[in-house]
Amino acid sequence: MKAIGIIANPASGKDIRRLVSHATVVDNNEKVNIVKRIILSAQGCGVKKIYIMPDTFLIGYKAIQDLKISKELKIDVEILKMNIKGNVTDTIKATKIMEEKGVKCIVVLGGDGTNRAVAKSITTTPLIGVSTGTNNVYPEMLEGTVVGMAAGAIATGVSNIDESCKREKRIEIYKAGQLVDIALVDCVISKQKYVGSKAIWNMEDIDMVIVARGHPASIGFSTIVGTSLIVGKDEDFGAFIRVNSGSNRIKAPIAAGTIQELTVDEPKVLKLGESVQFKPNYNGIMALDGEREVPFKIGEHFQIKVTRNGPYRVLVDKTLEIAQKNGFFKT
Amino acid sequence: MDLSNEKIIQMYRTMKKIREFESKAAELFADGRIPGFVHLYIGEEAVATGVCANLRDSDYITSTHRGHGHIIAKGGDLKYMFAELFGKETGYCKGKGGSMHIADADRGILGANGIVGAGHNIAVGAGLSAKYRGTDQVCVCFFGDGSTNQGTFHEALNMASIWKLPVIFVCENNLYGISMHQSKHQAIQDVADRAVAYNIPGVVVDGNDVLAVYEASKEAIERARRGQGPTLIECKTYRHRGHFEGDPTTYREPEEVQEWLQRDPIPRLIEFMLENNVLNEEDMKKIDEEIAAEIEEAIKFAEESPFPPVEAAVEDIYTDIVEEVRR
Repeated sequence: MKAIGIIANPASGKDIRRLVSHATVVDNNEKVNIVKRIILSAQGCGVKKIYIMPDTFLIGYKAIQDLKISKELKIDVEILKMNIKGNVTDTIKATKIMEEKGVKCIVVLGGDGTNRAVAKSITTTPLIGVSTGTNNVYPEMLEGTVVGMAAGAIATGVSNIDESCKREKRIEIYKAGQLVDIALVDCVISKQKYVGSKAIWNMEDIDMVIVARGHPASIGFSTIVGTSLIVGKDEDFGAFIRVNSGSNRIKAPIAAGTIQELTVDEPKVLKLGESVQFKPNYNGIMALDGEREVPFKIGEHFQIKVTRNGPYRVLVDKTLEIAQKNGFFKT
Repeated sequence: MDLSNEKIIQMYRTMKKIREFESKAAELFADGRIPGFVHLYIGEEAVATGVCANLRDSDYITSTHRGHGHIIAKGGDLKYMFAELFGKETGYCKGKGGSMHIADADRGILGANGIVGAGHNIAVGAGLSAKYRGTDQVCVCFFGDGSTNQGTFHEALNMASIWKLPVIFVCENNLYGISMHQSKHQAIQDVADRAVAYNIPGVVVDGNDVLAVYEASKEAIERARRGQGPTLIECKTYRHRGHFEGDPTTYREPEEVQEWLQRDPIPRLIEFMLENNVLNEEDMKKIDEEIAAEIEEAIKFAEESPFPPVEAAVEDIYTDIVEEVRR
């Protein structure tokens, strides 16, 4: 079946980073517009069926309604029948349902947090992350039309998955041997004790950063590693670095428009599967992909490792190059 | 971030005080001992508390018809508040304002307001005053989601933005404008999105998490004090009671109410405090008892206070015409 799924998070891009940095603003009506462009483009490139996650802003319904009014919608677009809670569980659940329905590709509109939620349940379905968050690392700034074409090339089999996709790395957090959570980009260990407004930005509270990728041409806490040691997304290692420790003075783009000077230790390479042992002597919290998520207490024992168990990312440019070579655009 | 245990305990005390005040007000209204209308703040305590914990006595707030929580969080005296609710001469407005019009200029409380959206422009005036006088005072403007469809909201954000006034617009989005769900009165889900049109930051926070509200408002207030202008903070929250006492709330699904009750801001803070040894149960009980005693004392004060004399009806007003009436 030539089907794809679309997950659009109505809550992405609204957090405190709009206030504490000069973060990008993407409102929900623009998300509706992006979804419309993806639908039309996928429809024009051979997709026959699209499933969309229901959400509290009705992004999918609004896109369908507008395209029906303009008489542009030719294929079957269905909103998944599922109860929604207006939180991250909707994304996790929708991902699972879409995979059960056999979609060939899932397009995600959101930030690092939304993609992380998808990554918690997705198995082998290729993923395209479209950034609609407050300046992200994992999802990319992609035009909806291009995304729809790439999803179409994957769904129709014109571009094969082996060549068009790359399995991502992820960070796995274990407590007493049990996997408790994951991150796609970075795990920041902070001395803050509470979740609060979720985003993390106070440097003085940060103890350590573990990354699956880190590059100076990026943004966020992973650049604290990336400005000292480049950890490419395709390279088979991660890294970690102690912050507010050591004697190296660096500057890093930790948020939109924020170049932060800080003191760090030397970054250390973390081979795939190798663990960082973390036994805190303070109560604090781990921020995963920029959001405070996992509280910890003195004496608890965590193992944090980088693996290549992440989602299969669609390499959009490469997918469309393969499609072009295979005559995808000939009519 | 600078958030001491003392500050967290202070916020617990404020939230609890609001909850107990409002619970008593509900009882007294049901007994017919409070005249007029009351609109209770139960369930939304984290918003006023988290914001006002960052304010100084000299800062300003403007409030709404659901204003008791704002007044308490800004340091209002329960005795004078209850006296006002009872319509007594010792009340904040000499018993002539009632629940919806409590003001205390000495504490920067520029008034609760029965007119939806009327606080926006008063807040801009206060912000302009602070800027004109060269102080670093700020004004927090509390309002509901429904009022953001009023012209006053848009005029206020526009003017505050152009003049970079120290105003923090705090939207208490409890999902309903009286009985109308937000999805039926505006084409957006996040009021914070409206900030874009006025070139100011707009953020969404969990309004039932006092620590989240505290953090966001701290940043916005500091920004305003630095002269960087206004911010719009949207706090997602829920009122446990109806729009007014007596509202049958048939427009809300029981499942929705139950879900939000699970997110009650006070048990959430208690859980955090106990888990992190901020406060133990014994000390918490002591605080609760102190609040209960303060409320009983305030009610006693209000009940024992006299009603205003009839002549007071034509005092404290802006016209001399009443002199003719008096004659």
